[in-house]
Amino acid sequence: MAIKKLGFVIRTLPYKIEGSRLAMTHAISSQTVEIYLEDGDNVEPVVCFIGDGVLNCLKNQQAMKHYGLTSLGQHVKNSLLLDLNVLICKEDIDRLGIKEDALIMDAEDIGGETKAKIVPYSEIQKAMESVDHLLFC
Amino acid sequence: MADLKTQTPTETLDVLGRVCPYPLVLTKKQLEKMTEGAILKILCDAPASAEDSIPRFAEKKGYGIEVVKLEDKGYWEIFIEKK
Repeated sequence: MAIKKLGFVIRTLPYKIEGSRLAMTHAISSQTVEIYLEDGDNVEPVVCFIGDGVLNCLKNQQAMKHYGLTSLGQHVKNSLLLDLNVLICKEDIDRLGIKEDALIMDAEDIGGETKAKIVPYSEIQKAMESVDHLLFC
Repeated sequence: MADLKTQTPTETLDVLGRVCPYPLVLTKKQLEKMTEGAILKILCDAPASAEDSIPRFAEKKGYGIEVVKLEDKGYWEIFIEKK
């Protein structure tokens, strides 16, 4: 029996490249792999937003209007709906002048019970050190 | 014992319009909240989830499962008994 911890570190701007979308899609999809694993084996993802990546968590993204794409904000909400551990770097939101109420912190409107956490970079670093596999996007 | 589909479900989960992996993960979440012996009815229109991942999950857990395809409505009713 083993739990493999996966870390997805999102540091790229939303919509510029597909990195953040792929990271969240993979983190969400990882929640289903247990059906293909041995009994007791599973994976446990953590999604960390650092640097410019914190902008993926902004509310009211107008992606369809501007880019013809589905919103990455919905991916953040879906991550919370599925109880993923979502960490947002405090130093980076402070640097960009973003207040907590401008960020997607929960998914209550779609039935989610888990909240995103704004944490100092030191905690994100601890999370990165604790995982078995780390993916930077 | 009667078929699961003929029994009154304890809870109903509507995942119509959602695609893989959401139907399975939301099913797992709902079942975690339910007690042994409870029956969950799932409405699902994602073929891969209805015909593969949800039945595979239920069988792996040892839960009872019945999948009913409603051809006229274009979705599946899935009944899972938590054991």
